[in-house]
Amino acid sequence: MKVGIAAIGLLGPGLADFASARPVLAGQKAHELTPVAIPPTTLLPANERRRTTDTIRLALKVAEEATTDCDRSQLRSVFASSSGDMDIIDRICEALTQPEPMVSPVQFHNSVHNAPAGNWSIATGNPAPATAISGFTATLAAGLLEAATLQQAEGGEVLLAAYDVASMPTFRRARPVTEPFAVALRLGPAGARRPTLELTLGEAGDPTPCRQDALEALRGTNPAARALPLLEVLARGEGGHVTLAAPLGRSLEIRVTP
Amino acid sequence: MKPLVISAHTLTSANGTGRQANADALHQGDSGLRPCDLDSVRLDTHIGRVAGVEDIALADHLAPFQCRNHQLAELGLRQDGFAEAIGTARERYGAGRIAVLMGTSTSGIAATEQAYHRRDPSTGELPPDYDYQHTQNMFSLADFVATRLGLRGPAMVVSTACSSSAKVFADAERFIAAGLCDAAVVGGVDSLCGMTLYGFNALQLVAPGPCRPLHTERAGISIGEAAGFFLLEKTDSGAAGPRLIGHGESSDAHHMSAPHPEGLGAARAMEQALARAQRPAGAIDYVLMHATATPANDRSEARALARLFGAHSRAAGTKGLTGHTLGAAGAVGVAQALESLERGFVPATAGLDHPDPELELDARGAAEERDIRHVLVNAFGFGGNNCSLLLEAA
Repeated sequence: MKVGIAAIGLLGPGLADFASARPVLAGQKAHELTPVAIPPTTLLPANERRRTTDTIRLALKVAEEATTDCDRSQLRSVFASSSGDMDIIDRICEALTQPEPMVSPVQFHNSVHNAPAGNWSIATGNPAPATAISGFTATLAAGLLEAATLQQAEGGEVLLAAYDVASMPTFRRARPVTEPFAVALRLGPAGARRPTLELTLGEAGDPTPCRQDALEALRGTNPAARALPLLEVLARGEGGHVTLAAPLGRSLEIRVTP
Repeated sequence: MKPLVISAHTLTSANGTGRQANADALHQGDSGLRPCDLDSVRLDTHIGRVAGVEDIALADHLAPFQCRNHQLAELGLRQDGFAEAIGTARERYGAGRIAVLMGTSTSGIAATEQAYHRRDPSTGELPPDYDYQHTQNMFSLADFVATRLGLRGPAMVVSTACSSSAKVFADAERFIAAGLCDAAVVGGVDSLCGMTLYGFNALQLVAPGPCRPLHTERAGISIGEAAGFFLLEKTDSGAAGPRLIGHGESSDAHHMSAPHPEGLGAARAMEQALARAQRPAGAIDYVLMHATATPANDRSEARALARLFGAHSRAAGTKGLTGHTLGAAGAVGVAQALESLERGFVPATAGLDHPDPELELDARGAAEERDIRHVLVNAFGFGGNNCSLLLEAA
């Protein structure tokens, strides 16, 4: 399957957005491990904005960045997260240990895995289909396959956002996600004037590491940060080959043409 | 779209384990809803609980997956020769050419709820035997099903609340069309847990008694649990059976937990399913509605039906039988529609002695015997996430 990349969104430690992170990803500027500050979304009205969580803001931030130059109201979307809103799950499971459990209604409706997808469609007035998926630590590869098949099936553009929040202290051992991270790719038809990804589901294979040690140290901290080797290739504006871990021990082979 | 053959399937719900028990309940309108008797939940409500889930032990390489959701999945996979049918398909296509696409809303969250009760009192740490990856993580359902059935095709879990296990049928169609696989195992599993029972209760969407879809006095949902699985193959594979001929997906873009009042998103999903199948609205024998039995949900969906099919269209709602099985609702709806296609009846809408006249639907408390060729199955979820599937008799 061949798809083109129309735009990229990014947020991670020391990576505030794709444009400013590009020299870092291309190896022209040193990476500084500054903590992630998740900006509030500008797309939702104040009342709705107050109800958003870090998970929703993380997803919407990169989705917004990757769609500044297109019509958001028609775009199909794939929201890919290994775990969903772990902060809410922690709070609800805590509440359920009480003798008279009281679950917050807003927290409960935001607990669904597709809460970012729902907020995105509301924020953009977008009636197009939206989905929310998981592939555990191979969520990025699963999301790419889902978004690419959607693009192939209907043409046009498809937004992929992959994101996970870091674990609360309670979950640090059980779910070792130590940094928040999010990446968005807006996919469209393969063609000239834009980088193209050729995707093949492989039998198995070792994932491609990052070229730079500082980024390689980040790659394992979050399922969405598995995108870093691909982002390095895209930032350099060169061709290349990247292997990602796919679910069930398979691999996703990606050939990048600049 | 190119249709897909549903060559094997199975359903386990509060109506019983396997197809026969579910078909009987669907035909006779026998509700599986009972007063809530879960140890961990003290709410005055009815639930659709599957008998025997706790007795399932996952052994050997499946042991890490032990939790209510995967116990229910295992119980479901043991029915109707489904696992054996997948074994035959695996021989034919190869383990790597069969996709595993599952829907769930809360996965194995009950394992995490239990682990929170057993946290270290001094450090707050979760107990050392708690296995997040194989129980609560969203993907663990697809991981379990693939591991259990020996499959290695493209795999993922779709989790879009109550449309989850309807959307996996659309994904299977796209994955097969793109050449990623030759066949797909799709399905949905969701199990009873404190989070959904207390959560829906907090939203004041839970009925005190058994839920009554489409009824004048409907007062909210009853939560249930279920596991449904299907094998989808290409029509040129030689496989025989009923067919998936259309699917439609849409977003309400309206509200996180309330449907669009006019059912615009629901109507769009149904329209797309008809368009993909190239069938007119008049070809549909009846709509197996999402019909959760909240006042707003049923009203919104009825308006969507009126938009497409006119007033008093034939419809049925089955959540009075099984409860609302959330992420498994799409799989339950498809399995029920398949029974009605094969055996020739419109399902009973359990407890419907006073249909709400405002809904302007032709839904009935008893099953109606007649040949059925086409059923549209709806599944709608939080976040305004809609999916509609069009099924055709063999």
